[in-house]
Amino acid sequence: MGNSESDKDLIAKALAGERDAFGVLVERYAAQARRVARAVLGDPDDADDAAQDGFLSALVKLGQYDVRRPFGPWLMRIVANAATDRRRRRTVRRAEPLDAALVGGGPRPDAAAVRSELGDRLRSALAELPERRRTAVVLFDVEGYSHAEIAGILGIPEGTVRSEVFHARRRLRTLLADWKEQVR
Amino acid sequence: MKNEPSPAFDHRPDPELGAALRAALESHDDQSAFVARVMAQYQDALDRATIPALDILASWSRRGIAVAAAALIAGFLFGRNVLVHAPSPAPGYDAAMAPVEGPGLAALVSAQDPPDASVVFTSLVDQR
Repeated sequence: MGNSESDKDLIAKALAGERDAFGVLVERYAAQARRVARAVLGDPDDADDAAQDGFLSALVKLGQYDVRRPFGPWLMRIVANAATDRRRRRTVRRAEPLDAALVGGGPRPDAAAVRSELGDRLRSALAELPERRRTAVVLFDVEGYSHAEIAGILGIPEGTVRSEVFHARRRLRTLLADWKEQVR
Repeated sequence: MKNEPSPAFDHRPDPELGAALRAALESHDDQSAFVARVMAQYQDALDRATIPALDILASWSRRGIAVAAAALIAGFLFGRNVLVHAPSPAPGYDAAMAPVEGPGLAALVSAQDPPDASVVFTSLVDQR
């Protein structure tokens, strides 16, 4: 099955029961879904679980999807909700807020080699931001969604999205500028 | 004085910040492993979504039939009870006031002058 097929065509095929068509959609949106889930959850393993929940939930709800609208925001809304649900369950279970130390994903054999110092700092900074704020800035600056689309994904007014992106950027840009000063 | 647009509300994505965040959030493992993991759950997800829905519909159906039967029986019993204990129809106003045979009536109809009210009431009381 070609990767060049449009989302709309793939969705029609998936609705007709073509498993491979859904597979192509998963492949196409996997990286984005994992990043968005990680922005919400911090921990990469939890994020992958949430992204998986999101894809499977989307599969079950595919019949409800309005083909006149873009697929990405619809899917990201489901993924973000799955991540938020998981985070709530985790918070209840652990009875503590998102831990900045968790953001690195815990010790992994090759993690230190792969992660940059800036990456660590950004993840820590993201973890300190409120959930909605960090999700909004990732959806805007990383995934390229519009304010209106993010408003739909997060279920908040467009003005609130602008405000959240503004506050998140202010914090993250400061951090980025400091880091650039240090490495100069 | 011309107002400059505030950079704080820049409507365009920030490519530098976006690239840095992307690198920070990117999973460095094999993307295909994640895809395979999702697709391994494909059939289970569909099965889980289908079977409980049918169960729920079936339970609704059973409950609906039970409620409808109970409502039918209750309606029947209530209706029968109402019919059995219904009071006999009350006499109408005209029927109550209609003159019947009796001495009061004779005195009333043979009088030269209009009768006193007490005569009218006495004639009615006599009849009852």
